[in-house]
Amino acid sequence: MTPNQPAENKQRAFTEKVWDFFTSLKLVISLLLVLSALSIVGTVIEQNKPLQEYYRVYQPSTVDLFNKLGLFDMYHSWWFSALLALLALNIIACTMDRYNPIMRGLRKRNLILDETLEKSLQSKDKFKYALPLADVEKRALEVVGKRFTGKPIITQLADGDRHCFFEQGKYSRLAFFFTHLSVLLIFIGALIGSFFGYKGFVNINEGETISRLETRAGENKELNFAVKCNTFTAEFYRDGMPKDYRSDLSVIKDGKEVLRKTIRVNDPLTFEGITFYQSSYGSIPERVQLEVRNQDGTLQGVADASFGQRVAVPGTREQLEVANYQEHFRLPDGSDGGIALGVNIYPEKGEPSGIWLLMSDPDVDKLRRRPYYLLIKDWQLKKYTGLQVNKDPGEAAVWGGSLLLIAGILVAFFVSHKKLWLCLSKDKKGRTELTIGGTTNKNRPAFIREVAGIIQSLKEVS
Amino acid sequence: MTNSLLFGISIFVYFLAMVLYVSYLAFRSEGLGKVATFSLLAGVIVETAAVGMRWYESYQMGIGRAPLTNLYESLVFFALTIAVTYLILEKKFGIKTIGAFVTPFPFIIMAYASLNPNNIQPLVPALKSNWLIAHVVTCFVGYAAFAVSFGVSIIYLFKARAERLAGKDAGTFLGFVPATEILDEIGYKTIAIGFPLLTIGIVTGAFWANVAWGTYWSWDPKETWSLIVWLIYAAYLHARITRGWRGTRAAVLSIVGFSATIFCYLGVNLILSGLHSYGGQ
Repeated sequence: MTPNQPAENKQRAFTEKVWDFFTSLKLVISLLLVLSALSIVGTVIEQNKPLQEYYRVYQPSTVDLFNKLGLFDMYHSWWFSALLALLALNIIACTMDRYNPIMRGLRKRNLILDETLEKSLQSKDKFKYALPLADVEKRALEVVGKRFTGKPIITQLADGDRHCFFEQGKYSRLAFFFTHLSVLLIFIGALIGSFFGYKGFVNINEGETISRLETRAGENKELNFAVKCNTFTAEFYRDGMPKDYRSDLSVIKDGKEVLRKTIRVNDPLTFEGITFYQSSYGSIPERVQLEVRNQDGTLQGVADASFGQRVAVPGTREQLEVANYQEHFRLPDGSDGGIALGVNIYPEKGEPSGIWLLMSDPDVDKLRRRPYYLLIKDWQLKKYTGLQVNKDPGEAAVWGGSLLLIAGILVAFFVSHKKLWLCLSKDKKGRTELTIGGTTNKNRPAFIREVAGIIQSLKEVS
Repeated sequence: MTNSLLFGISIFVYFLAMVLYVSYLAFRSEGLGKVATFSLLAGVIVETAAVGMRWYESYQMGIGRAPLTNLYESLVFFALTIAVTYLILEKKFGIKTIGAFVTPFPFIIMAYASLNPNNIQPLVPALKSNWLIAHVVTCFVGYAAFAVSFGVSIIYLFKARAERLAGKDAGTFLGFVPATEILDEIGYKTIAIGFPLLTIGIVTGAFWANVAWGTYWSWDPKETWSLIVWLIYAAYLHARITRGWRGTRAAVLSIVGFSATIFCYLGVNLILSGLHSYGGQ
């Protein structure tokens, strides 16, 4: 005995304990149930809202606590991710743990129905025929062949006994790997998507072209190509419900149109791994004419402003910019104020200020009691389409994993590994003795019925 | 509209079927049992005709869509899938006595559905997809299988309790229902049918969401609740297959699973908000 052997043993015992923990069924079941219980929280507390909204619903101290616990974005919190990681480790450990037994079950083939094997089988029978062995064998193989697909393996022993081995659904034992590794594959796909993909959003005005967009994480992405919105169309049913939203898009690369497609909800456009989805729409004013009037009502001039551009206010040293447009402006009392323009006023010196002009209430600016006031005279609207943009290189893994998962579950529940043996021998009186036995790894009652049917047919052989 | 009339008739037929199944359990007459099965089958035929008629009438109205897109339509479809699933399982497992615990579902669900507006509305753009039928049908047949498992688990608990208290030969109707081992086995087999269907339902839903909104999983309440249901049944299956959890514990887990299923289906639409709001109207 060397002095450090106890330490080694201790270490071994420890790793074994860790291994046992990770492969224990208790961990699996607890994890599944804990994950499902915790997931409820995020469906009750609305996720990813601006903090102000939470303050409206909860006490400030509650908001602070929830925020610290990550409950406002709980599915991406460190503790939820840690639980998912633990589940992944659990799956990996269980797969490693089960690998050898499963492969052994796959390889183990007992071709001979000897006494020990016979004793271990639940479904078995034995009967004698006055027919020659070869005849019995032929008829028996026919009977069994009706229920078992695939050719039997026949072994002739030195004493003249013939053993036939039927096997079916052997590879269903691999379903374990399919169901469990598929979940890992889905996780991997999700990780690839979150590290190497992005989601973003872009508005494209009709007739205009974009080649960059802003991601949800707030980054600017430069595309290798440009996307042009030729037209956007919204159709409605007679009762006002939306019927169809569609954008006619062109993909332009190196100055040439390489792809043109009309996208709809449920029918996006994909180019170079980036997909554009019809998501929203709206209009912005293209050109706005604003009357500038003195407080006594006399016309000072008309400002002709393109959206988002500063122009001089006639008769003053100030500038204005039409910066915002809303079809349904929310008044302070919460009601719908109709169409409104957001205008920024830039004085010669000092800070700019913003005002809202309402279509429905022309006096709103007059009441501000400045030297002049603005009136909306005319404007032309331009439609834009709002596109959700998604790049997700992990998608293939997610869908591959999903298909594997479904296939694995179906095989795991509905295909079993069945084995059946026939042994033909001659007794001392020259009669043919037939022994039959079978076993399966799942759904025993159905298998027992199946074998009973075979036995019945075999008894009728004469 | 003809479809409304047919749905109305099916409510009464389901009610009759329920009464007959309960009487069968009370009086234990084979003839009554046959009539009960027949009446449930009649309810299924009338309701199938109603669904088909509604589909056809939507085409006549120039809308033309599968009747699977709002709360009313999903409720009547749920009632239909439960009745059909139960009939198939009754034939497969010979469990007519369980009918008294399952057939109230189609009746109650249909009665509840009739309180909701049932005019045929055209589809909003997000629902115009070939994935609609595959997604809705797999989810609801899965739900229906869980509903049957729930009914069986409830009887299991009653029967197991009665056996514990009074010994094997319970004098009540419980002596008439299948043995606890068989109830336990059916409770498991129905989940083994529902689980793959729910899995397919979630995957088709995710795939559809990805085509429509550009994200296959957004932790929307509906998605999350379907995952919760999936996790609970996954736990059930692991516990049962690997650890041999049977009997009371399995029955309780099946009941918890179906409660979560009902919340996923109705609770999310009626109480919580999210992307999947069509079903709440």
